[in-house]
Amino acid sequence: MRSTSNPAASTPARSSLLDRVLADYRGIAAQLPGDADSRAARARAAAHLGDLGWPSARDEQWRYTNLRALDRIGAFAPDTAAAPAATLAEVPPALPGFERLIYADGRLVSGSHGSLAADLRTGLKAAEWLPEQRLGWLCDMFATDAARLTVAGDAAIEILFINSGRASSGAAYPQLQLRCEPGSRVRLIERHLGAGAPASLVAMNITIELAREATLTHYRLQQYGRDTVFIDTLSAQIAERARYAVRSVAVGAGSARTSARVQLAGRGATLAWGGIAVGRGEQVHDISLKVEHEAPETVTEELFRGIADERSRVAFSGHIRIDARAPGAQTRQSLRGLIEGASAEIDLRPRLEILTDDVRAAHGATTGRLDEDLLFYLLARGIDRPTARSLLKWAFLSDALREIDVPALRAEAERLAAGQLPDVPDLGALA
Amino acid sequence: MSEAPIPASTAAPAATAAAVAPLLEVRDLHARVGGQTVLKGVSLAVNAGEVHAIMGPNGSGKSTLAYVLAGRPGYEIISGSASFEGRDLLSLAPEERARAGLFLGFQYPVEIPGVNNAYLLKAALNAARRERGQSELDAFEFLSLVRSKTALMHIDESFLGRGVNEGFSGGEKKRNEILQMLVLEPKLALLDETDSGLDIDALKVVANGVNSLRGAGRAIVLVTHYQRLLDHIVPDFVHVLTRGRIARSGDRTLALELERRGYDWIDGQAAA
Repeated sequence: MRSTSNPAASTPARSSLLDRVLADYRGIAAQLPGDADSRAARARAAAHLGDLGWPSARDEQWRYTNLRALDRIGAFAPDTAAAPAATLAEVPPALPGFERLIYADGRLVSGSHGSLAADLRTGLKAAEWLPEQRLGWLCDMFATDAARLTVAGDAAIEILFINSGRASSGAAYPQLQLRCEPGSRVRLIERHLGAGAPASLVAMNITIELAREATLTHYRLQQYGRDTVFIDTLSAQIAERARYAVRSVAVGAGSARTSARVQLAGRGATLAWGGIAVGRGEQVHDISLKVEHEAPETVTEELFRGIADERSRVAFSGHIRIDARAPGAQTRQSLRGLIEGASAEIDLRPRLEILTDDVRAAHGATTGRLDEDLLFYLLARGIDRPTARSLLKWAFLSDALREIDVPALRAEAERLAAGQLPDVPDLGALA
Repeated sequence: MSEAPIPASTAAPAATAAAVAPLLEVRDLHARVGGQTVLKGVSLAVNAGEVHAIMGPNGSGKSTLAYVLAGRPGYEIISGSASFEGRDLLSLAPEERARAGLFLGFQYPVEIPGVNNAYLLKAALNAARRERGQSELDAFEFLSLVRSKTALMHIDESFLGRGVNEGFSGGEKKRNEILQMLVLEPKLALLDETDSGLDIDALKVVANGVNSLRGAGRAIVLVTHYQRLLDHIVPDFVHVLTRGRIARSGDRTLALELERRGYDWIDGQAAA
């Protein structure tokens, strides 16, 4: 049932959207897959969201999110029909050495899990979300499928999430739950693509658990079409001497919001978060990352590069909390923003909350326009102005891009980044 | 030495053929930067085939002259003119000046991590070739051209794959400037303090590079504080810039005399 005719949709009252969401949920709850526990978890999620209320732009945590884009979502209930066949034109070539799972519109359509020691089945493991992650409940309410992977030893996994635009509903709710066993070494590629239907929504939850001495490198490429609203909510728990590295490239979706929380729970746990976001047109990229140091000698390295072109908006909130249990913690935060458009906007918010004396913390956040000295150097070599500007934007992203250590993926990430920059010629020679 | 100072406005060497316009002709140029007037009537004519050295104390306006001619933003022309092959140079955008054949070797070359040297060289070369109506070089032609030049400049080929000047030493940056010049083969090279920060070995390499470009069709203008560069690149003309004007012009013996007597000597004469 499409609810575009729902009278609530045209009511401007602040709670109308939440009312619609809850109404859609009540309408579909009985058809959603899962056992009694799953149903109970969904109901709890709906209750939590109802209690907390829909996020508001008046809330500092949601100020930069394009919440109005959600008003345009016709129906929040997902498609509960059988999964579409895996004949998807959008599927990119496989990456050598990576096993692949493909989800289309929130449903598994292709992939085997035996060799991954994975357990894929419909079901729900409810997570606890922070208020700034409250749209995680939205996914928990409506999720139709979940990838639950438990990995021991070494593994390389690629998961594609495709927004096909062919489902009967424009809303999809994929879930990914990954546990890396002690000492495991895992590379995970999470890729979001597909043009999607007009005003479609992908709301995804990711929960990650790294046992002691596990290493996870998590590559995230988001390249949805501009008609898609993308919301992802991520929660990661990192145990003793485990290392979680994120390499994130966000270029797609009309509006995207990432709400991430990483808990460094064991001694020596490390987070290395590197991300770029490039906005053009009216795009909004809003990233909120909270890191909690809860054990001694925990380490955070954060690197973010954002470019806002034309009328786009890019926001990154990096909150690092070092509590009294975390002496010897180290943090390094490097946030940089580049404004290209006359009415573009960048907002970088580093925040360091330190509750112990023994901490080494370095942070820097700068936003500006292209360096005129660099521009003049390129012009003085005869390079035309649009190309020179694009080259410098490319250079601005380069330290984040070079962290992507899977060559074929890095080439893909570079192609995506360059696709967001006008006038980059002859891409192959750039890298 | 009893050579009389040549009046600045006639500093141009007598044209051998009156019909041939100088490659670069600067007339009574006044310019300011940051609200301060730095050039106060510079006149200079440079013909194809010549090497000129512009010397002067710190703050005399040498670098300003180079920047003004290359079109750096923030430098405001108050009056005067500059033409390049008869075209009004000052009306051209910096990239147009470069494509017309003017090359500025920077005193402080910038680092651009993420854009590799080879890419910059190729993009710049092909822009210049398009301007000249030549076809763009393919990857193979480009590489063989660049290889011969890197060898001449004692630059390891691995530099080509690195970010522009990224992590280069001062001397490496200067050699890289000359490498770019050799690849682009400009009609006029303006080299701003290319010798500063170079040890004697690097100085010789840079001088070799510059000398290899000397020829009938090209001109080189060396902006320098010290005489020692001119031991290796022997200029046809030497000009002394003080307080925003060319106070004296001569041949290379003028540089030697400056070395002996210091810039105060010129200042004293100018004041007299």
